[in-house]
Amino acid sequence: MAGFDKFAESLARRLARGTSRRSSLAWLGMVATGAAAIPALPVARAATPQHGGGGAAGRVPVTSGSEQDPGDRTSCDYWRYCAIDGFLCSCCGGSVSKCPPGTEVSPITWIGTCTNPADGRAYVISYNDCCGSSSCGQCLCNRNEGDRPQVRPQANNDYNWCLGTESSIYNCSLAVIVGVATEDAG
Amino acid sequence: MMRCGLLGGAVLLGSMAGGAVLAQKPEPLPVEELSQVEALPADYPKSWVLVHDFHFNAIVDGRIAIVDTADPQAPLKGLVRAAQFANMLYAPEKREIYTSETFYSRITRGERTDAITIWDTATLQPKGEIVLPGGKRQQSVTYTGTFQFTNDHKWALVANFTPAQSVTVVDLEGRKVLGEIDLPGCTHIYPTGSRGFSSLCADGSMISLVLAADGTVASSKVIENAHDIDTQPLFGMPAMVGKTAWFVSYTGQLRGYDLSGGTARPLPGAAHVGTAEGGAPEWRPGGWQVIASDAAGLLYVLMSPNGREGSHKDGGTEVWVVDPVANRQVRRIDIGGLASSIAVTREASPALIVARPDGQIDVFSAADGSLIRKLGATAAYNPTVLTVVP
Repeated sequence: MAGFDKFAESLARRLARGTSRRSSLAWLGMVATGAAAIPALPVARAATPQHGGGGAAGRVPVTSGSEQDPGDRTSCDYWRYCAIDGFLCSCCGGSVSKCPPGTEVSPITWIGTCTNPADGRAYVISYNDCCGSSSCGQCLCNRNEGDRPQVRPQANNDYNWCLGTESSIYNCSLAVIVGVATEDAG
Repeated sequence: MMRCGLLGGAVLLGSMAGGAVLAQKPEPLPVEELSQVEALPADYPKSWVLVHDFHFNAIVDGRIAIVDTADPQAPLKGLVRAAQFANMLYAPEKREIYTSETFYSRITRGERTDAITIWDTATLQPKGEIVLPGGKRQQSVTYTGTFQFTNDHKWALVANFTPAQSVTVVDLEGRKVLGEIDLPGCTHIYPTGSRGFSSLCADGSMISLVLAADGTVASSKVIENAHDIDTQPLFGMPAMVGKTAWFVSYTGQLRGYDLSGGTARPLPGAAHVGTAEGGAPEWRPGGWQVIASDAAGLLYVLMSPNGREGSHKDGGTEVWVVDPVANRQVRRIDIGGLASSIAVTREASPALIVARPDGQIDVFSAADGSLIRKLGATAAYNPTVLTVVP
């Protein structure tokens, strides 16, 4: 973790000093979308119960249908949500990997590493925001395993990551698998 | 049917007896004046708190609630708009409130405008605005460090994040933008010296900048090893004791930075909030605005008994009072349930203001921890930052 972060920070600062804003932005986008290739990211703790939000009373559970991806995707306890902060797109007309209609997916974001209880692997999760419609208001969920202060943007979920989109209005958050953390890939 | 029959009988009886009752009625209520609007005292009493309502269910419609914590009957005195991940500053000597906001011409779409709005403390009407160029204002869940004063409240500093990081320097009195300072790798604004600020940087350093009269950087200095993100990550919002900023780490370490001169000076030695039995697995700070100070220089830290990796925003159930200079835990206050943000008023008998995740606000004695009054969930849906009247 420390090694990667130090590398990323020094690279970010160097790039930001020496290049245009657009270049910096493209670089962060690369981090998010190319996260599968990053080794030794922090392995977040397995999901623990009693997280606030999500899974409102009376809501019918939404599951993947696959034993290897267990859990209710409208519940804050779902394993992919270990570092999410916002409304779950699965409750908002979208899914864990698709934004609701009428919104636009943010190209850059923060990432977390969550352990899948079914296979024990640590997956790199990209928490892209969906943007351009007002707050969804359903299934608010905030979990912070591996979340770090804003000074480390790539590991902080307090930013509005509706950046690089036509509108910065926040609607909901995805939890997309973008890779398996190398140390647990086997 | 039975209910209808009884109701019909009552109506009949009422109309039969109507004439006699009418004769005994008191005078009708007087006609009231139309078109009245309340006003506030321009100088807010020290029991008042400005409560930032993040308004998660409609972030575009965030607001600042002006709350009298000594008035349980009518705690909400008025609202100031604080749209779309806004920030707020309060200048009591100018009788002004400033909001730093983002707007779209069609609410969720269209042309983006970032602006500082200047509000009158008595009327809560806007007095003016300063448009911020570039559409780059940092949008986050509320932090105090993204919008700050410098130069004796004459200027404001606005943090930008695109995600390239910079700071816009604004002349509040002249109603104009002075310029922009690139600050790659560094985040949040901590006013430093008479005209300047410091930021924490991702490589563990802190940078202090002195600004010239025209808003440009006159000088800067990097303080290496000022914080440790890996082992002692700091909550972003410090408590101020005079010109010293006290931060608390995710595990309870206290770090002080003297911001009185042109360059920040980390105070030697590290204090700690202390420990207690009963943690599962351990007591740690938890919540959003987790640290506050009182006029005597004591610190108040919101503590969770369920501290672990990832618990730092889960809220706390006790407030621990700590003397950071003596590195001594003074007392513990049971606040009777989960809270997310705290502040301490500057009243003669200071009050500990406790805001809870469901919007409830409770008032405790800062001196002995006793519950003074409950205000209920009467002011804000999602209270994030509490600003007391200085």
